[in-house]
Amino acid sequence: MKLNNYKLVFALIGSITFSCNVLEQEPELQISDERAFTNLNSANAALFGAYNQLQGVYQGRLQRVSDVSGDVSQSVGTWDFYREMDTYAVSPDNTEILDLWTFIYRTVNQANNLIEEVPKIEATQAQKDNILGQAYFLRALAFFDATRVWGGVPGVVGDLGVPIVLSPSRGVNEDSYPARATLQVSYQQVKTDLEEALKLLPESQANNAATRGRATKPAARALLSRLHLYLGEWAQAETRASEVIADAKFSLIEYSAIFSADNSGESIFEVQFNNADQSGLRFWYAPGAIGGRGELAANTDFYNSFANNDARRALFGLDATLNLRYPSKYIRAGNVDNAHVLRIAEMYLNRAEARAKKTAPDNDGAKSDLNKVRTRAGLPNYNDDIPLLEAIERERRWEFYAEGHIFFDLVRTNRALTVLKNVNRKNGPPVTLSSAGRQIMPIPRREMDSNKNLEQNAAYK
Amino acid sequence: MKNSFLLSILLMLFFVGALQAQQISVSGVVTAASDNLPLPGVVVLVKGTTNGTVTSVDGKYSISVPSQDAVLQFSFVGYSAQEIQVQNKSIIDVKLAEDVKVLGEVVVVGYGEQDRKTLTSSISSVSSRDIQGLPMASPDQMMQGRAAGVQVNSSSGTPGGGMFIRVRGSTSINASSDPLYVVDGIPIVSNNQSQVGLGGQITNPLADLNPADIESMEILKDASATAIYGARAANGVVLITTKRGSSQKAKVEISSYVGVQSLWRKPDVVNGSTFENLINEARANNGQTPLYANPNNALNTDWMGEIFQDAPMKNFDASVSGGTDRVKYLVSLNQFDQDGITKPSNFKRTSGRVNLDFAASDKINIGTSILVSRNFRNRVRNDNNIYGAIGAAYFLPTNEPVFNKDGTYNKFSIFENPRAAVNEVDIGMLTNRILANIYADYEIMPGLIFRSTWSMDYNNVKEDTYENTFLNTGSATNGSGSSIVTVNDNWIWENVLSYQKKFGANHTLSSLLGYSAQNSYFENTSASGQQFPSNDFRRIASAAVQTSSSQGSGWGIQGIFGRVNYAYKGKYLTTINVRRDASSRFGATNQAAIFPSVAFGWVVTEEGFMKNQSLISTLKPRFSWGITGNQSGIGDFQSRGLWGGGANYTDFPGTQPNQLSNPDLKWETTTQTNIGFDFGILKDRFVLTFDYYNKQTKDLLLAVPLPSTTGFSSIVQNFGEMENKGFEIGINGSLVNKEDFTWDFGFNISQNRNLIKKLAAPFNVWTRDIIRLQEGVPLSSFWLHDQVRVDPQTGLSIYRTVNGEAAVNSPDFNAGRDRFIVGNAQPDFFGGLNNTIRFKNFDFNMFWQFTVGNDQLNWVKFFQEHGGTRNTGFVSSQMARWQKSGDITDVPRMVATNYRGDLRPDRFLEDGSYLRLKNLTIGYTFPSAISEKVGFSRIRVYGSGQNLLTFTKYTGLDPEVNSGADSGGLAEGIDLYAMPQPRVIMGGLNFTFK
Repeated sequence: MKLNNYKLVFALIGSITFSCNVLEQEPELQISDERAFTNLNSANAALFGAYNQLQGVYQGRLQRVSDVSGDVSQSVGTWDFYREMDTYAVSPDNTEILDLWTFIYRTVNQANNLIEEVPKIEATQAQKDNILGQAYFLRALAFFDATRVWGGVPGVVGDLGVPIVLSPSRGVNEDSYPARATLQVSYQQVKTDLEEALKLLPESQANNAATRGRATKPAARALLSRLHLYLGEWAQAETRASEVIADAKFSLIEYSAIFSADNSGESIFEVQFNNADQSGLRFWYAPGAIGGRGELAANTDFYNSFANNDARRALFGLDATLNLRYPSKYIRAGNVDNAHVLRIAEMYLNRAEARAKKTAPDNDGAKSDLNKVRTRAGLPNYNDDIPLLEAIERERRWEFYAEGHIFFDLVRTNRALTVLKNVNRKNGPPVTLSSAGRQIMPIPRREMDSNKNLEQNAAYK
Repeated sequence: MKNSFLLSILLMLFFVGALQAQQISVSGVVTAASDNLPLPGVVVLVKGTTNGTVTSVDGKYSISVPSQDAVLQFSFVGYSAQEIQVQNKSIIDVKLAEDVKVLGEVVVVGYGEQDRKTLTSSISSVSSRDIQGLPMASPDQMMQGRAAGVQVNSSSGTPGGGMFIRVRGSTSINASSDPLYVVDGIPIVSNNQSQVGLGGQITNPLADLNPADIESMEILKDASATAIYGARAANGVVLITTKRGSSQKAKVEISSYVGVQSLWRKPDVVNGSTFENLINEARANNGQTPLYANPNNALNTDWMGEIFQDAPMKNFDASVSGGTDRVKYLVSLNQFDQDGITKPSNFKRTSGRVNLDFAASDKINIGTSILVSRNFRNRVRNDNNIYGAIGAAYFLPTNEPVFNKDGTYNKFSIFENPRAAVNEVDIGMLTNRILANIYADYEIMPGLIFRSTWSMDYNNVKEDTYENTFLNTGSATNGSGSSIVTVNDNWIWENVLSYQKKFGANHTLSSLLGYSAQNSYFENTSASGQQFPSNDFRRIASAAVQTSSSQGSGWGIQGIFGRVNYAYKGKYLTTINVRRDASSRFGATNQAAIFPSVAFGWVVTEEGFMKNQSLISTLKPRFSWGITGNQSGIGDFQSRGLWGGGANYTDFPGTQPNQLSNPDLKWETTTQTNIGFDFGILKDRFVLTFDYYNKQTKDLLLAVPLPSTTGFSSIVQNFGEMENKGFEIGINGSLVNKEDFTWDFGFNISQNRNLIKKLAAPFNVWTRDIIRLQEGVPLSSFWLHDQVRVDPQTGLSIYRTVNGEAAVNSPDFNAGRDRFIVGNAQPDFFGGLNNTIRFKNFDFNMFWQFTVGNDQLNWVKFFQEHGGTRNTGFVSSQMARWQKSGDITDVPRMVATNYRGDLRPDRFLEDGSYLRLKNLTIGYTFPSAISEKVGFSRIRVYGSGQNLLTFTKYTGLDPEVNSGADSGGLAEGIDLYAMPQPRVIMGGLNFTFK
């Protein structure tokens, strides 16, 4: 073999040209942010992404915070984030509270992206309005949940709301470090967004699953009805509830059927899950023997409070090893259960409460609404065994178990400090909610550490 | 070989000139003392003359000497020289002992070799003879205790499991702090390739390599040694050189060993009766009625016996090597098979290697190094995983039966039945790897050589899991399975021009200039299924519900580099390195990085004033300074603002913002200063090497926390700073060096002090926030509740608070607030002591390894010393609980307040120091007369034991485990259901023939 220097140089040049493209790499799984909103399809994808963030809130996280912090569920395992809720001693380090915060604000940021970008795309006005209406609804729901978890209820607890972020994040600047708005301003933003959503949204979406699985005008009305209860605006709460009750799409159906199949006639808005996109509703309650974590269970006193013939009592399973009950509403294999956010029974109970509390109380109307829910559960009519408002509270406790209402209801009605006393627990002595300030959750420590403009809730300072 | 050939010609010329005098003829055979094999090319010289010869391929020589007083000198590179007086002998057979002296060796450096005498940088070497026949699954274990400044810990006893390796400490938080591994010039994939998370353990891709193939490992530590690897050099570089053939008759080496591994310490759990008594006591203390009426009649199930076993391991190596003056070859085959001491884990490797060098002409050499490795792991869940086997065996109370009356597995709470966890589980990982290069050298002119190398590192990993319906997860889904294929595909192309020349008598120059390009592409395709017709159907095709996914990503790096070594009169030494790297991972405003280094050395012993003494043979102070980088922490497209897919709403595809853009993103930068010296006495019979270093790392890639109100949790920025300072001392010596009796020892001790100097915000890692990273403390600092004592009056634990101390139930103690950094997992010192003795035909090796001052968290006790707050098993330390007034103990009374779930008591943080007899080997080599009779040139038998003795105060199953191995080095020193290191008793055989 003979090789001279010229041949070598040629070989060298040839091979260098061959290999100088290693620095040119392009991502395959992601796209640059300027390509995120290019047409209706990509806008819809971003909208589904927003629902995906909401799934992080309603995959069971928000429901568990409410139910374990109330008197209907309990922690029977070892994870401190639930042990803390179980003992009414939630700390700023609680990771479930942090995750809740994170998913709520991801929903907000994604909605903000939609609200800013969708008007610029090529599409019909109706198509844009539908997307924008859903974005406003999702942002309203996110701010609503944030405000009731960390802000409080006017006149009951709290005067600071939550940071109100209304534009999408594109880089880090001083707007990235918002302070908390007042409680009033926070709820006002919810109201504004819901009213905007109500203007833009359609009465129903393309099909039944979409109508109940995405935001619609009735969903906005239903959430407004709930919001008005928080703000003590009884007449408006009643009106909004009545609007939804009058809507033929929604009716009280057999109780177990609400949960055995998706998107029943009961549902106004339910967050969708399926085999490809699973929820966590089942996991934490289901015993190990059926593949759950067995970390949570129903409070035994609460379970015993059901009448024997109450249809809702049937939706509990028995963990024989621990002799404890767990909810079987959300027990379908594969974690496919949808999460019920707004359903028609709540509208009846909202209206019952609004009617009983409004300036000129309508107790008969209230009882009639209450009895609709009782009748459906197979119970006799309300017979004044306890005061009406307490009966409504009791009914909500039974009706919405594992759906995340009770703690917020007790705080909203200023009953938490009265009711959450000496609540029996499996894993320890009875517990009592010790201070008014603990009716709201601590701002996560991680959030406090990364944003100097935030003020912690007083009970957690 | 070539040099000795030239030398022999030269010597022959002189020999001719010397023929005139009266002569006595002497002949003989020169063999190696270690294996009785003939040594070709040994220089035989009549002392004080230029009269000499070299031995033939058979090791034979013959020479004429002027008189009986003549003394023959036998010398050969790598062996101790010998002098023998001729007297009246006409046949003189000589056995040369291998030279164990450290100095004077040739060491492999980045893109070349260098005589250790002229080395100015800090490099530790481990050679194949240090680890011959030791049972090691992967070559990185070779470095443990043998290389100063290199901290090596196995993360568990899992066969083929991950190792924790740090060269002079951790420089990074989010980037890897693992060294760069370069095998025969190929920078290889060394991070975990498994996509299946089973707990805290990761798999070790270095186990694809066969340790027996390895000639030497060089650990490049200071910036002068590493800077030539630029943006990947900040954590040190481990150069692995495999064995190659030499110009001699084919040599066949066959070796094999068989061993049995077992637990060296028994798990200490309470029996069934004690369990029931303890639960009753806790209930009584909590004002509850007893749960168990007759504790004395309790069952006592041996859960540990269900999962632990005495496990075999075996290894077989065969190699053929040899060559002619033009072709040199080595072909090897390896089979390694190790069961874990936890059922049913197993690691099995078959690998083959071909190393070939061919002189195509006087100026052109071409060659190749090819490794083909195929290995299979049978894996089991363990560590930080409550569904794991060891966890289950601890969690299940001993009063529970294995089976229910109907013969089904007894399921307890959420845990897996331990027998099911080992018998029903099916998690396999099959790796096929090709690690290969081809090279061509062209000698353009004397001293100027151009080399081009093309390499590939192809990893194909196929993982299959199946959870049948006897397992918790499988029963929930009616069987679930997954199948994942991962491909990690790399090619590297490098061109190096090197030039070596001596100018006059005083100036020696060696330099190189090179170019390197690497492309790396990673992809995986996965499928998973649920709802199987029965447990007999295991492939996803049979599943009613099927999902699948695929993903891919790539990066590239391109560098140019150069080095100049200059020595004046062999005493003033200088090395300068520069590398410029461009990486596809860097942000738009930081396209390329430059990494320079300089080093100086002064060989004092070459000075005239040192010539008059014979005690000090080497004295060489060294200094180096340089800058290196770490690009591994930057995600492939981390600098760009990105939206990603997969944010689906059930079946509707969704997108979401994933990442804020940061065009300024760049590598982490480490500036290292090294001061050291080499000191040898008595012709380097004893050598001391000392190094002090100071590594300052800045621009640490950190996920700087953002308020989540932005929709993002963090943005990766070059923000943090880290410091590592330390020293290393290595002492090697030959206590006895006689023909029939040699005794060599090596001792090293190192200290590294790690410190986080700047962070964006403190943050916690690992479950329950056990480890906290904050400014002013080292990595792997434990953040716990500081239990001061147990009140002898009340049995309540007393904790330190920010204001002093308070009982656990006092309002002054706030569990959220009163957590402190109470220790860390980094050792104060670590090192090893090695003794090798050869007496006649016996050889003996004793190797100790130690680590001092590291804390180890016995987190098993957190779960198993639960005071009755759980209904799960106890370890026997619970028996030391406070029971009555006056009891002095640190285990509090069994009431719920003392064992609250939000407590992280530091009583579980123990001293993790240990001194371990890592290896003890006794071998016997049969006299060559016997072995030759049966057709071998050498036969050696040996017996050996690993981990025979462990001295430690640690009370868990093993101090050398870490259940946070999957944390990227952030969570060290945690023991939570990790498979302990086994004790191994084994025996082996080595055969050699030609």
